[in-house]
Amino acid sequence: MSADVPEAGSPFRPADDSDVVMSCRVRLARNVVGFPFVGRATHPQRREVLETVRAAAGSDEASVGLVGGRVAAAPPAHLAWLDMPTLPKRDRQILWERHLVSRQFAEGDSPRAVAVTTDERFSLMVNEEDHVRMQVLRPGNAMREAFDVAMRVDDALGSRLDFAFHPRLGYLTACPTNVGCGMRIGAMVHLRAMRVTNELEKVKRAAKELHLAVRGFHGEGTDATGDWFQISNQRTLGVTEQELLELVAGRILPLVVTWERESRARLLAQQRTLLEDRVFRGIALLRAARLLGLDEAMKQLSTVRMGACAGLLSGVSLETLARLTIQVQSAHLRAADPSIETDDDERAVRARVVREALAGTG
Amino acid sequence: MPAPFRPCDHCAKPAVVHNTVIVGGKVTEVHLCEEHATAAGIQMPGHAPINALLGQLAQVSVTRARGPACAECGHSFHDFKGSGLLGCPACYGTFEATLGPVIERAQGGALQHVGRAPTRAAGDAQRSALLKKLMRDLEAAVAAEQYERAARLRDAIKDLRPQPAGGEPA
Repeated sequence: MSADVPEAGSPFRPADDSDVVMSCRVRLARNVVGFPFVGRATHPQRREVLETVRAAAGSDEASVGLVGGRVAAAPPAHLAWLDMPTLPKRDRQILWERHLVSRQFAEGDSPRAVAVTTDERFSLMVNEEDHVRMQVLRPGNAMREAFDVAMRVDDALGSRLDFAFHPRLGYLTACPTNVGCGMRIGAMVHLRAMRVTNELEKVKRAAKELHLAVRGFHGEGTDATGDWFQISNQRTLGVTEQELLELVAGRILPLVVTWERESRARLLAQQRTLLEDRVFRGIALLRAARLLGLDEAMKQLSTVRMGACAGLLSGVSLETLARLTIQVQSAHLRAADPSIETDDDERAVRARVVREALAGTG
Repeated sequence: MPAPFRPCDHCAKPAVVHNTVIVGGKVTEVHLCEEHATAAGIQMPGHAPINALLGQLAQVSVTRARGPACAECGHSFHDFKGSGLLGCPACYGTFEATLGPVIERAQGGALQHVGRAPTRAAGDAQRSALLKKLMRDLEAAVAAEQYERAARLRDAIKDLRPQPAGGEPA
């Protein structure tokens, strides 16, 4: 991995409601006045946008407003700027696997860059679908904190850049589905028990009623077929940022967290042997496997995670499991062991990484 | 037995696309040769799923009426239909008539932004021009007895009008 790509770190530390809410995210889409949207812009125009945003954002956390109200005892942390076209393909994929950039952004070769804080709690993509896509990430259910930081960053950057804005339509974005406040606010939730008890429909129905979307592990365009789901707003017009925050943090998340906990408690009370069987088989498989595919690893990590949350596996930390869900992804494995050439090599390294992480745990 | 020869609606070549479309309750048969079908925006590799083909046919009238391109960036509404993306901020004004209903549908009927404004916000002149336009739209909606739309426009106008001094309530 390039020295500039941050190591997997703090995003995995357990926080409030971490048993169900893996992480939360607030993303804002903005465009700079005077340029066509990215899809219509020429390469020289995209380069100019990149330079303009980069100059406005600066190179430390203070410059994008991330330190805001709190007293910064230490000097502001570095904001790493990564120039995508010059970054090796594997490192770009690592950024995508880490949820710091979108897949579309990682794959393109036109002028584009991403600024990432060293703690991976903030990223700012320049020249994705919109000129600026900034996101604040937090582990666990820290939606309100993420929201406050995102608003601060928007103020800081908006005071230095003219964002395309229309009094009736709000912030103008390349796709009309983002027009208005240009904000997506959402959380990644782990609903293993509700899948077992066949209650996911309840979540989807509640989300639909609140005009919220339920998507898969990697967001838009990915199937919600695993046990991890992203729940976020669909509407961006005619609704304030604060109202969207309340919809997600105040309405859907408390419901989903309660439902999933109830399902887990019910499984434990009524089908303890079945639950134990799945969890203990899962951990045994992860500790013993010599070849491990990605789907199988994710599935068993999900089961083991539920077991750890239910108190069946006292020695397995949620932080280790959260870190593993990222470390078992393809580019991360190839970075950890550059000798990987074939798919079987990759499966062998995945099995080894998981075995070593779970050795001697509960 | 081979199918009876049927010429294209636009030339003498044999038609390869045959369809029946219902527009405003009126049934019309459409027969197109490969060339004219392609020109009408229908993909012809031959393996497109039938519903995609029908969808494309339904869009023929839209694709024919491409309308003016955006004076700022050259983007056409056809480009938007293809990618779902607009070319520049000015496109929102250029395609307002056709884009308006698309936005309204995608945004659950919303017409008016009610969230934050940039720190370096658009000027008052822009706001007052918009207010005038919304008032005209409101009159038209009332005249056309579109009361639901009129109610939304009235809300939008209310939101846009300057707030009394003292800012927002806590």
